[in-house]
Amino acid sequence: MVTIDGSEGEGGGQVLRNACALSLVTGEPFTIENIRGGRDQPGLMRQHLTAIEAACMIGGAECEGMELGSSRIIFRPGSVTGGDYSFAVGTAGSTALVLQTVLVPLALADKPSHLVIEGGTHASMAPPFDFIEKCFLPVFARMGPKVGMRIKRHGFFPRGGGRIEIDIEPAPLRRIECIDRGEPTGRSGSVLYASLDDTIAARFRKAALKSLPDWSNDAIVLRELPADQGPGIALILESGFENVTEIVSGFGKLGLSAERIGRTAGKRMAGYEASGAFAGPYLQDQLLLPMALAGGGAFTSVKISQHTRTAADIIALFTGRGTQFEDAGPKGQLVRIV
Amino acid sequence: MSKTTVIGFLGSTLDASKRDASRWSKWRPTVGLCMQPDLRVDRLVLLHGAQHESLAQYIAEDIAAVSPETVFEPHAISFDDAWDFEEVYTELLDFAQDFDFEPESEDYLVHITTGTHVAQICLFLLTEARFIPGKLLQTQPKRGKPEPSGVWNAIDLDLSRYDSIARRFAEGSRTSTSFLKGGIETRNVRFNTMIDEIEQVASRSSAPLLLMGPTGAGKSLLARRIYELKVDRRRLSGPLVEVNCATLTGDSAMSALFGHRKGAFTGAIAERDGLLRRADGGLLFLDEIGELGLDEQAMILRAVEEGRFLPVGSDKEAWSSFQLIAGTNRDLVAAVGEGRFRDDLFARLNLWTFDLPGLADRVEDIEPNVDFELDRFASAEDTRVTFNREARERYLAFAASPATAWRGNFRDLSASITRMATLSPDGRIDRRTVDAEIGRLEKLWSGSSSRKSEDDLLLVLPAEEIGELDPFDRAQLAEVIATCRRCRTLSAAGRELFAASRLRRKSTNDADRLRKYLARFGLSWDDFG
Repeated sequence: MVTIDGSEGEGGGQVLRNACALSLVTGEPFTIENIRGGRDQPGLMRQHLTAIEAACMIGGAECEGMELGSSRIIFRPGSVTGGDYSFAVGTAGSTALVLQTVLVPLALADKPSHLVIEGGTHASMAPPFDFIEKCFLPVFARMGPKVGMRIKRHGFFPRGGGRIEIDIEPAPLRRIECIDRGEPTGRSGSVLYASLDDTIAARFRKAALKSLPDWSNDAIVLRELPADQGPGIALILESGFENVTEIVSGFGKLGLSAERIGRTAGKRMAGYEASGAFAGPYLQDQLLLPMALAGGGAFTSVKISQHTRTAADIIALFTGRGTQFEDAGPKGQLVRIV
Repeated sequence: MSKTTVIGFLGSTLDASKRDASRWSKWRPTVGLCMQPDLRVDRLVLLHGAQHESLAQYIAEDIAAVSPETVFEPHAISFDDAWDFEEVYTELLDFAQDFDFEPESEDYLVHITTGTHVAQICLFLLTEARFIPGKLLQTQPKRGKPEPSGVWNAIDLDLSRYDSIARRFAEGSRTSTSFLKGGIETRNVRFNTMIDEIEQVASRSSAPLLLMGPTGAGKSLLARRIYELKVDRRRLSGPLVEVNCATLTGDSAMSALFGHRKGAFTGAIAERDGLLRRADGGLLFLDEIGELGLDEQAMILRAVEEGRFLPVGSDKEAWSSFQLIAGTNRDLVAAVGEGRFRDDLFARLNLWTFDLPGLADRVEDIEPNVDFELDRFASAEDTRVTFNREARERYLAFAASPATAWRGNFRDLSASITRMATLSPDGRIDRRTVDAEIGRLEKLWSGSSSRKSEDDLLLVLPAEEIGELDPFDRAQLAEVIATCRRCRTLSAAGRELFAASRLRRKSTNDADRLRKYLARFGLSWDDFG
């Protein structure tokens, strides 16, 4: 039984999701106390319940303490079974976060899976669909499993109601190293919007491009979605390299100006491009778990985030594998899982 | 994990919106409550009028998007007038009674932000009365910015769950228990526990109370205080009518209690209302209820149960809505067994029975009561009287002694303090005053037979000496004294007292044995002259 103090490190729902995934794969039960102990409103929130319920469903697991506001759960995994599953997340909670909980266990399962996840696809506090599809999955595919992903409908905050479908072809995880990102292959971007004036979308684009002086003006397209998927707006920036594609996003939010959202996203992309690293900040913490389960691996990345350090701690508890962070000069940080 | 079911009205104004994207920047309570990160609505029972069917369906789709976990159950409910209290309450009561509540597996939240004010009031009342076994759910928009989800909070009507409210209630309850004790800091655990219970019953229930206890234990005083407490708590508005049933004898008893019609019997020259009628809306204290005749008991029972009774000579029923406190110093159970008291009336009275201990069983409370009586004398007579230390110790020792009868209980104590206070020179009760008072009390109690043996002791020994005797010696000595008083000579008394052992002795000198025994207590045969 692994015991985790949920208030340590990054202290959010990520701890919970990683622990569920690791527990399902390793068969090790766990207890987590002080769930989200450091937050204003500690304890389990609705979206965490959904993620744990999804983990229980695919893994024949049992979980005690599954209540809103609960500060302690005990999770006992069963055996993971591939198959058809559908999950729905409320309040535009992210489909990506549910996927993050079940993807690796299902990629190591006995048979293929088909998932339908409904909820938010482009909402803050979680990576958008485009990130999973274009940034994470290609790297994950190199480790073995084949995962296909489609978006059927976009889901923005606050309404949600998006829908993604995922096909997972399981395979044992291979150890890989991702040191060089390779030469640039192309840049593109889009502003997805629904039920909003296109002048707002144009302002997103303009602000982003202002922070990306090297980008050509026509790199970012405006893409209006059917009005019934709105209201909502998201900026997706994509910078391709031979070995990896980085995705940076920004989401419209009441009270935040289009300029600010566009500028922030543009600056973050400019920062990644200026570094020589393979993984951006989001790919960084997502790669640790599959690499640890593959028996090790290495990649270069930008500045190490608190999320990543916390994920490394949790991984060590379940797998005994340590994560080393070294300076890699022009390639940023070298992250090595041993 | 138990499921959460929300029951609430569709807000025909608040939940309505333009049917375009702008609705997502507007707070709609019913949609918003399904968007909370820390509340999962597993089931939403939405009450709506038939004319709002389309709105209900429209928000159902939005709820499905924001809360796929929610099972949506629209429930059409039609009011002719949604502002008519009687109609709305009746409809909602029907709804609640037909609803299949399963509080073991489901938590219920009653959303009161939407609906007419009358509907909200009715939902509140039904929840408060536990027809709907849930908590109230209140939602409101977030301050400052247009935002669709708003905030929520649940209100548990079980007030004991709120610390500060519970504290205030506890304080209020402390004040009222102190009131019931007449402000006396009583220390007797049994008595204090009983008063706590009475406080709760009196504040919450209109059911009859039965106060048992020996005479002078304070039944009437307590009944009066319960009445005042009930008035204070607004559980009563009518008068207090006190009657001692021992004074209601013969034919006049019926008439006194239930009234009579003019000409009902000789001397009934005018119509009379009777005590029950006078107690309408108030409290009737029937002291010594065991003394009531069987016919009166039957009539009282009916009056208690139905609020109706028949005045003497009348063929038309009178009514009165009163609360009842009965007092008795009798063992009513025994009276029921002997057929002197109706078992059905006893059963009715026996719901809340409180047994008031006599003073002898509350020796810890003597001192606070002595001080209380001195205070009372001071305020009544405008003179502060105190004991000197020696006198106080002496009196308290006497009062607490198991040998002291306190036959009239607190009534005797009260009278005793009043006498000493009145007779005390210069407002100071001294040893002499106390001794004289002890003498008076002993004389007062010597008339009765229940403590006959103790009375025998008093004939030959001063009270203070008796107080110093062990109960073991007291019983033996009392028997000796009684025998001595009956016998003509010391030898005769000795023969009688040592009747068994003298048969086994070779030589006997019963007179000498008795003389030596008496000498141990400073007594001689002459004392019985």
